[in-house]
Amino acid sequence: MINRIMIMCEPRITQSQTETPDPGMVNFCRLVCGETPCVITAVHPCSSPSDATPIRGADMLVMIDSAFEHYSSSAWEKASLIAAEKINPDIIVIPHTAAGYDYAPRVAALMDASCISSVTAVENSDGRTLFRRSGFHGKLDMLYEAGKFPAVITVMPGAFTAEETGKHGSVEEIRCSISMESVSDITLTDTSESNPELENADVVIAAGRGIGRQENLELVRSMAALFPASSIAGSRILCDNGWIEYRYQVGLTGKKISPRLYVACGISGSPQHIAGMKDSGTVVAVNRDPGAAIFSHSDICIVEDLEKFIPAFLEAAAGHNQK
Amino acid sequence: MRILVCIKQIADAESRPIITGNGSWAEYGNKTAYRLNRFDEHAIEEALLLKNADPGTEVDILSIGPERVKTAVRRGIEMGADRGVHINLEEKGYTSPLLKAGLIATYCKSAKYDLIITGVMSEDMMSGQTGPMIAALLGYPSAAGIIGLALNRSKYSISVRRELDGASACSMTIKLPALVTVQSGINRPRYPSLSNVMRAKTAVIEEIDQREKTTPALCENVHSVIETKQQRAGLVLCGTTTEKAEALWQMLHKKSLI
Repeated sequence: MINRIMIMCEPRITQSQTETPDPGMVNFCRLVCGETPCVITAVHPCSSPSDATPIRGADMLVMIDSAFEHYSSSAWEKASLIAAEKINPDIIVIPHTAAGYDYAPRVAALMDASCISSVTAVENSDGRTLFRRSGFHGKLDMLYEAGKFPAVITVMPGAFTAEETGKHGSVEEIRCSISMESVSDITLTDTSESNPELENADVVIAAGRGIGRQENLELVRSMAALFPASSIAGSRILCDNGWIEYRYQVGLTGKKISPRLYVACGISGSPQHIAGMKDSGTVVAVNRDPGAAIFSHSDICIVEDLEKFIPAFLEAAAGHNQK
Repeated sequence: MRILVCIKQIADAESRPIITGNGSWAEYGNKTAYRLNRFDEHAIEEALLLKNADPGTEVDILSIGPERVKTAVRRGIEMGADRGVHINLEEKGYTSPLLKAGLIATYCKSAKYDLIITGVMSEDMMSGQTGPMIAALLGYPSAAGIIGLALNRSKYSISVRRELDGASACSMTIKLPALVTVQSGINRPRYPSLSNVMRAKTAVIEEIDQREKTTPALCENVHSVIETKQQRAGLVLCGTTTEKAEALWQMLHKKSLI
């Protein structure tokens, strides 16, 4: 029976980011509890009390310490452990972000807790609460049971509806004194470069590892040129290879876009990539692997080799233009 | 300076997992090609770059799993690592990352490394838990998903750059001993040199047998493995390449997209 849940709020990493916890995390907790009365407490580590904003649908524990000025796994791990001692939760919910995947496994290991990462759905089977996540290269889904409590669960950002509902809960403030002997000189660099071409594009033709050779990017560019207000984009690996600039990267660590049409060329469809394009209008995937995960997230699926398919598509388009 | 690189061998991305045991797990067939997890290839490269800068550095490669993972360990030696360690563990169904992290941490307590490097996650399971768990169990600081690493020898610390959401980053100094998990953008893994390939052929991989001893602790478990949910229409186009291309054009035209 799960009736006590603790949510760790996302640390503020960039100046533009809001301080409140993602309402999607609260909605995730509601799904976990179902009909069971449940106490949800959002834990907010911050460096000054004015940083904290109460949220709907949960009580709040504000933890104040100068160590929380910048995110570090050491500070957030300690905050989680102190809060867990106080709240005694069945489940500790942490957003699966760059911060979350850094410290959540540490918290689980130190509490000898169960740990389930990047959960995208909650299901119930014979009174058991099951946590769904993607596995096997995104080709199959896995349903996990907590097995024991407490359990640390990291939740995929954007996987749960973000409407804020419910009343503001109580707010409690505690002061901590955390020592940070192993980590120092934390500096943030905002390297995010805006890319209006990609962010405002109606049509995005995106390429992944499956394009094979850098020269094949020309095919992707030619396909994009068929559409007005279009842009090319790339999955992480193409940017890592230096084939495409990072400002064209789509995914959790790149841009989140929602064009009218998204064509995924040779993209396998990792959850990190899906998070960046799942709100697109129409999604077309071209991949030679019929089992590629991207096909589960596509309206139109084409099992083909790109080197053959794109030229064929260019030819079809040219034929129609002549008419 | 002693560095340990923890690696995982995975089934190739194009292999098809088959749901087995009434939906309780999934397995790969006999003909499946296994290879080194790409993120771990970057982890090995990062360790070798430190070794290149200071030849006194020792780099060990460790993997946990059945007999076949020795091939991945040997691949690490082919790239230029000094020694290999294999924790032999039969994996039937789900194995908790905390169980593996515990076995690795136990090994590390006696072997004493200054720095432990691993990939940010495995390409197949994508949990990213094992690395930070090893660090926590050893009481080491850690940073996950780093895209830059520099050693400050005189201060016995490392400076790392971590990737954050939305293309921002942060840098920090971490005291050694520590653990980092690396993102793929950090370096370009090298190809093995012929001399290292020859050396790897005869290299002895230390084996730690855990096949009998490990009783799984009570932890999270996999209730079932199921097909992914089709999130969108998923209409599969049929016919020749030309027919599919024409069909796509028609469909996009109907939606006024082209």
